[in-house]
Amino acid sequence: MKKKADPFRALKSWIENGDDALDLEIQEEMDDEATPALTEEAGRKREKKKRDPVRARRRLEGGYAVAAVLVCLALIGALVYAALQLPAFGGADTLVDSEVSAFYVENTLKETGAVNIVTGIILDYRGFDTLGESHVLFIAVCTVLLLLSIRGDKNADRIAREEAFDRHFEPRDDEVLQGAARILTPLVLVFGLYIIANGHLSPGGGFSGGAILGAGLILYQNAFGYRKTERFFTYRTFKWVSLASLLFYSLAKGYHFFTGANHLENGISPGTAGNILSGGLLLPLNFVVGCVVACTMYALYTMFRKGDF
Amino acid sequence: MAEWLRLILFALLLIAGLIIQLTAVLGVNRFHYVLNRVHAAGMGDTLGLMLLCLAAIVYAGADWIVLKIVLIVAFFWLTSPVCSHLLGRLVQETDEKFSSEAKLWKS
Repeated sequence: MKKKADPFRALKSWIENGDDALDLEIQEEMDDEATPALTEEAGRKREKKKRDPVRARRRLEGGYAVAAVLVCLALIGALVYAALQLPAFGGADTLVDSEVSAFYVENTLKETGAVNIVTGIILDYRGFDTLGESHVLFIAVCTVLLLLSIRGDKNADRIAREEAFDRHFEPRDDEVLQGAARILTPLVLVFGLYIIANGHLSPGGGFSGGAILGAGLILYQNAFGYRKTERFFTYRTFKWVSLASLLFYSLAKGYHFFTGANHLENGISPGTAGNILSGGLLLPLNFVVGCVVACTMYALYTMFRKGDF
Repeated sequence: MAEWLRLILFALLLIAGLIIQLTAVLGVNRFHYVLNRVHAAGMGDTLGLMLLCLAAIVYAGADWIVLKIVLIVAFFWLTSPVCSHLLGRLVQETDEKFSSEAKLWKS
């Protein structure tokens, strides 16, 4: 038995193969134990070694739990400390309640050209926050891709298993669903685009419209399967649309974040309030946020379903 | 007089819709097998919703909002039965106790 008590090895094997592999390893070792053709000394030595991968894994898991608790406690402490420094909620003399809201209500339409004040706030005054939100979505989908993707997996068995298991129990190519999807998908997609395009005029915007777009894609994929969806939405589409959207957002707004302006002027005139083509950068920004959200929704769905597009 | 008739019609439709919805809620919570529950839930999404929306239409009168309400009903009538159908197919294909609970009609 050449196995060494290497915690990294145990962790690696656990990550790659899950619990089964480790159990299998232990089982193998136990089988070895049964072979009697060994001296007692060698046997004792082996016994010492034998337990090691298990113990190493336990130690690793214990250390991980302790570290997780410590990190969580530190974070909680930092957040509670920060929360204690905040001004009282609803106080008459706190700036946020007395001046900022009034400023937004009075000036949003004039300065950004957005009839929907919420859009004016989240994409203009607080554009940095929205950029962070888009990136949070992107990071979430990256993590899910890391954990669940079977794209480029060297383990051919795993890919074959996922392919075979994909919707093993679910109705495939259901005619009723296909009929409904044929009518609904275009409507849902157009509705999503409408909500995004009118984000600065009426309730809605990039996040809600993007979620509707993603739902439309998921509906189409559910009804018609991977082969038909691949004609217009593949992993490459996801990658490039997400990248281009986030890059556009960062480039369009990045300068202002670093110069620290209050109202992030963009040089484009706000236009006539109420027109679709008004509000300067708000419309393209809504579009890129919608693209990111739609791609994220669809990618999360495919990752959890099969692990590939 | 016409106003009173409209009010009575509105109230009748609203009450009928609420009774259907109540039945649906009771059915979803009281039935034990999936298909019975799906049946109850589907009833609330189609008939109950239609009655409630008709009540809203009567209340609104001749207005553009009627079109939106009709769209809501159309959307739900398109999606809810499909949803019930898929749930039923899923149950039929995966439930091991299906044959003891329900009978499949061979066409």
